[in-house]
Amino acid sequence: MLPWNYGLHWSIGTAVFLGAFYTVLVIVVTTVISAAVRSRRVLRDGDADAVRWNSDFYALPARDRACRHELTGEVAQRECPNGFDCRKCDTHRMFLDRRTASTPGGKSYEGFGMTFPLDRLYHRGHTWVRRERNGTVTIGLDDFARHLVGRPDALDLPRKGERLRLNDTAWRMRKRNIDLRVVSPIAGIVLETDGPDGEWYLRVRPEQPDLRHLLEGFEVQPWVAREMERIQAALSAWGQAPEPGNNGQPDIAAVGADCPTACWEAVCGAMFLRP
Amino acid sequence: MDKRFIPAGVSRCSTGRFLLWLAPWAAMLLFGLYCAGLCLVKGLNQTHMNNRFAFGLWIFLDLTVIALGAGAFFTGFLLYILKRKELRAVINSAVAMGLMCYGGAMAVLGVDVGQPLRAWFTFWYPNVHSMLTEVTFCISCYLTVLLIEYVPIVLKNRKLRQVPSFLVFEHELHKLVYVFAGVGTFLSFFHQGSLGGLYGVLRGRPFAFREELGIWPSTFFLFILSAAAVGPSFILLTTWLVEKIARKRLVRPQVLQSLGRISGLLLAAYVLLKTVDTLIWLGRTTPRSGFLPAQYYAWRPFGVWILFAEIALFLVPMVILLLPKLRARAGWLVSAAAMACCGVAVNRFVLTIQTLALPTLSFDRFLQYLPSWQETGTFLAVLASAVLVYSISFRYFELFPEEGDLRRELLRAPVTEPALAGK
Repeated sequence: MLPWNYGLHWSIGTAVFLGAFYTVLVIVVTTVISAAVRSRRVLRDGDADAVRWNSDFYALPARDRACRHELTGEVAQRECPNGFDCRKCDTHRMFLDRRTASTPGGKSYEGFGMTFPLDRLYHRGHTWVRRERNGTVTIGLDDFARHLVGRPDALDLPRKGERLRLNDTAWRMRKRNIDLRVVSPIAGIVLETDGPDGEWYLRVRPEQPDLRHLLEGFEVQPWVAREMERIQAALSAWGQAPEPGNNGQPDIAAVGADCPTACWEAVCGAMFLRP
Repeated sequence: MDKRFIPAGVSRCSTGRFLLWLAPWAAMLLFGLYCAGLCLVKGLNQTHMNNRFAFGLWIFLDLTVIALGAGAFFTGFLLYILKRKELRAVINSAVAMGLMCYGGAMAVLGVDVGQPLRAWFTFWYPNVHSMLTEVTFCISCYLTVLLIEYVPIVLKNRKLRQVPSFLVFEHELHKLVYVFAGVGTFLSFFHQGSLGGLYGVLRGRPFAFREELGIWPSTFFLFILSAAAVGPSFILLTTWLVEKIARKRLVRPQVLQSLGRISGLLLAAYVLLKTVDTLIWLGRTTPRSGFLPAQYYAWRPFGVWILFAEIALFLVPMVILLLPKLRARAGWLVSAAAMACCGVAVNRFVLTIQTLALPTLSFDRFLQYLPSWQETGTFLAVLASAVLVYSISFRYFELFPEEGDLRRELLRAPVTEPALAGK
């Protein structure tokens, strides 16, 4: 069996010992090869970003993965098991059936010195999606993100015709020498791009009309309150606290200007769901 | 300078301060490498070992770090096989610790074999009747498993995971980690046992010889149990030490208490079996060999105190770790874990150094052994390399996944929600 080893006499003991040892080796090598083959398949299918989202999502603190129905008080405590994709969630469907009405309470929600128009849907990564009359949707940054980042120093928008996947990177921004990735709220084909000076960043033809995974109407208010709590927690973890603005509420815009780079990067990572 | 490599959500000291911390350990490592180099180039005459006293400081180190490194396999076993989810908070650190321990043990063995160029003979010309062959095979395999388990920790580094292939491979490898946990448990059971068996079969050394259970001496099982019992204590102790050195909360107190409880339960089983084994050894095995138990302890400095020290170092932590009120207090918990680790070190010392020092034949004499500075230097190199690798891992990898959460929780301030109204 082993070349140049003329002294090895086979017996049951030898076979059991070497057999067990080589079996272990085969298991270890096969497992590593299996992981490599599966990785290759994932990369070939272009699912690397889905893996990234999965990894990022579970890297979030449990409290940050709270179900939208926890935010609205419909359930005392529940962690989202679906990466914020409620379309495949039976529990979400059950809660929707229980709701008497999901109509928004007004044209917009204003709180903490920010405005959230309710003619659009919101992703937990601080983007909004608005259905347009021609069947396309526009995607932009919500007021929270605009206050936090301000005007980006540089933008890396997807090209026209590029395909967006839900929870992949929609676009990148650069601010204070830090790269920020914005999570895509929907899947679709990019038709047009704009930027921070316009109202929206991307115009997209959605792949699916179902946008149930996005927050709407009365869900926005408790979500923003939770986001305020999250940003204060993220800041206090670095020994920082948001300055109060003119209205007496924490001034999100001051965060980007005042806190140290490492803190600001961590805060943005938490708020844009890219820890 | 290196902040892009530091995990998000945690804070680390400045690069300069970190380098200052590494410097003395790096110097110690260099000195140790010089010592090891002398042993490799000039031979084992650089040590104070000889044909009569063939196991010295290095084997004591090997046995001890392998017992303590059992924390890696046992934590993996508890988490991935028995689903003790709270141990997720320490599993990465346990793997890193295991890697340091087993890597150090293999490195020292590489110097200890005396003929390093022929070290591969053990794989190619295996003596399947030797427990040492089993130990060599299992430790080599388990070190490979630990390296594979360490790969996802490295690839999860903030910068490295930006490379899609690293990210995906880490993800896929992590999905199969239960296979490695199972293989690690299988290998660890056998090499921990075989290390004990090595001494238990020494019929010519009545101090170490034990009667068989099946084909294995009782030390085979006692080594497995003691390693499994002390492994969680070692993880507890090192986690607490890292917390103190880094001045950060890394895990929740419940995790350390859980480790302590598991360690306490296993120590109880070990103490029970060890008591039975010792009574059989004193009452039957030793007289059959023509010795009186008192003869073993007639030689200074290995008086009967060492027997009682070993008993106390297992018994006292067992009691502390089994009592919830004591376990809940950090001082007691950590002291008990430290005592258990010292206990296993004394146990391994007794079975190696004391065994070889005691005379067994009428014309034999009691042997005194003190390691040479080259042996000590090589020992220190293992310690230094472990500290260096662990320090680098702690700085750049996520050894304690809950660290960021704890930091946020500790400093979380209550938020006041204003009167909100839709418009």
